[in-house]
This record gives sequence, structure tokens and C-alpha cells, in this order.
Amino acid sequence: MLGKCFGAMIFISFVFALLTGNMSALSGAILDGASKAVTLSISLSGIMCLWGGVMSALTAAGITDAMSRLLRPVLRLAFPNAFRSGVAVGEITACVGANLLGLGNAATPLAVAAMKKMREASLTASATDDMVTLTVLGTSSFNLFPSTIIALRRAAGSADPYSVIVPIWITSALCCVFSVTLCRILASLSHIRRRQKR
Amino acid sequence: MNFTEALSSAVLPFVLFSVAVCVLVTDRRTFDSFLSGAGDGIKTAAGLLPSLCALVVAVEMLFASGFAEFAADSLSGVLSHLGIPSEIVPLLITRPVSGSASTAAYTELLDVFGPDSPAALAASVIMGSSDTVIYVVSVYFSSVGITKTRHALPAAFATMLFCILFSCFICRRFF
Repeated sequence: MLGKCFGAMIFISFVFALLTGNMSALSGAILDGASKAVTLSISLSGIMCLWGGVMSALTAAGITDAMSRLLRPVLRLAFPNAFRSGVAVGEITACVGANLLGLGNAATPLAVAAMKKMREASLTASATDDMVTLTVLGTSSFNLFPSTIIALRRAAGSADPYSVIVPIWITSALCCVFSVTLCRILASLSHIRRRQKR
Repeated sequence: MNFTEALSSAVLPFVLFSVAVCVLVTDRRTFDSFLSGAGDGIKTAAGLLPSLCALVVAVEMLFASGFAEFAADSLSGVLSHLGIPSEIVPLLITRPVSGSASTAAYTELLDVFGPDSPAALAASVIMGSSDTVIYVVSVYFSSVGITKTRHALPAAFATMLFCILFSCFICRRFF
């Protein structure tokens, strides 16, 4: 996927530069881009290092678990089947809790564990409602502190790198609500349709 | 807006303060896990370099060839009706596919238009509240070998669209 993305961008750029005569700018951009990538990963490494430490310290002190427990009543509405049967409830709460704290790297293995448990318990070969909800919620995760964005904005010389935090909170919270609501609606629609077929 | 300003600048100090309290009141294992987490963080950052190297070059080329501008111009009619700044087109294209590619497109937007320009602010909110839809869906479902994903992709893309529209809306209100 990444390879196709890379290939397509360079293919388009080359053909476009050939047609518009931007070839010398293109040649400069290649060298600039390579050194920019190094600057970029260096300016990100400090905050990623610190944030990784902060998050695992908070997890070790039990703060992440406490946050996950707070989520349970809300998650009951989002994952009715899992909570009814008790399958994968722990994994789901832990995964959503990790997503909430912006721990993308920790959330993925937890999500995979939750998916495996739900898969074992399901009788069909297609995705269950709760699997779909967990996935869609994973693509719209709430972000408590967008550390990468702040670091990049600061590196670019923003007058107020933190100014985007509150809009990000509002937007990502609404996106979570939107995604879960949409999944519940689509799930019940598909059940109604299946019942009508019979 | 003074309250939100105070709140935004207090988040990071507050998080570190709570870490400090945890380290002080619990045993030394908390600080040990800080160090091991920080070590993982630096590994993640170093692991980003190969894909960033490829994709920052590709995005830089897209801008230098004039294609980014061309795509923005040709879509600006549709996008301005929806309240989306057309400069962010490269981000909109790369965001669902890959984290590195969208980070590259995002940094380029910060560089070209300035970090406090309307386009960069909208891009920041989109980056902060959306994720790589195609990547997440494929990782989650391929881990359990499910190919019938039902309403997962439509719902994920609808959420992404909602996220883009709402980000641009909130930025117009906020800044």
C-alpha cells in the first residue's frame, strides 16, 4: 500500500514536471526532501521519546486502567453484544483506553487481541457488529494530547503551537460519537434487511 | 478564548506533573517503566526514518512539479463550497492511506503556507482527529482473517468525511 502510494506520487510528479517544464525544481526537491526527512524524524524523536516514557509510567501506576474503567458505562452502549456475553470486554476497554491517550502503538496489539477473542466466539465468517464498531472507532480515536502535531507546529515556528488542542479535542470527540452512532445504525439496518430476506 | 488558551498550554505541564506525582508516591518501578517506554519511543522515531525518507521526497516532488497546486486549483470550486481550504488536498489524499505520507504532506503544508495559516490550522485539526483509515481496517481484519468486513469501510470513510468537514468548520469559528 505504502509502496503504491510512493510510486504513484513520484510517477505523477515526474510526468507533470515533464509537461510543465518544472524539471529543475523537481530535481532540487528530491535532495531537499531527503534531508528534510532526517530533520523531521530528529525533531519528532525528542517528543516521541518523552511521550513514550510518560505513557508507560502512567500505565505502570495504574492510571490507564483507571481511565479504561471509567469508560465502561459508555462502551456498554457501543458494544452491546460483547458486554452481554462478556467476551473480549477487557481487551476492548483496554484498547479504547489506549486510543484515548493517543497510544496508537499500544492500541493496535490490544485491538488485535480483542478481534481474535470476538472471532473465536462468533459463528459466521463475516465481521460481527462489535468488530466493525471497534475498527471504525479505531480510525477515529480521541486524542488527549496530539504530541506529534504540537512538536511539528513548534518546529515550523508557530506563534502558538498549542492553539489547536481544544479544536482537536472537540473534533475527535465528536468523530468518536459519530462513528459509533453510525455503526449502530448500519448494524441494525443490516439485521432488519436480513430478517426481511427470510 | 482566554480560557481555552490557558487550558491548552496547561495540558503538557499537567501530564508531566501527574507523572511526577506517580513517581514520587509509588515505588521505583514507575520510573523504570518511564525509561523503558522512552526507549521504545526513540525506537519508534528511528523506525520512522526509512518510510519518511521515501514519502517526504515523494510529497516534496508532488509540490515542486506543480501537481499539488494544479490539483488544489482544479478542486477548489467544489471544496470551497464545502468550506475546505483547497491547499490541504495533498493531506486529504494521503491521510487515509499512510501515517508517514500524511505526516510528510502535513509538514510540507506547515512549511509552504506557514503553521498559523488557515490551511495549516485546518490540516492540524484533521491530522489530530483522524487516522489512517485503510491501514487500520486492513490491520484489524487481516489479523483474524476476515475478508467480509460489512459496513466497516463505508462507516470509516463517512467518519473521515465528517471529521474533515467539521475540522474546517471549527477552525473558521475558532481562529
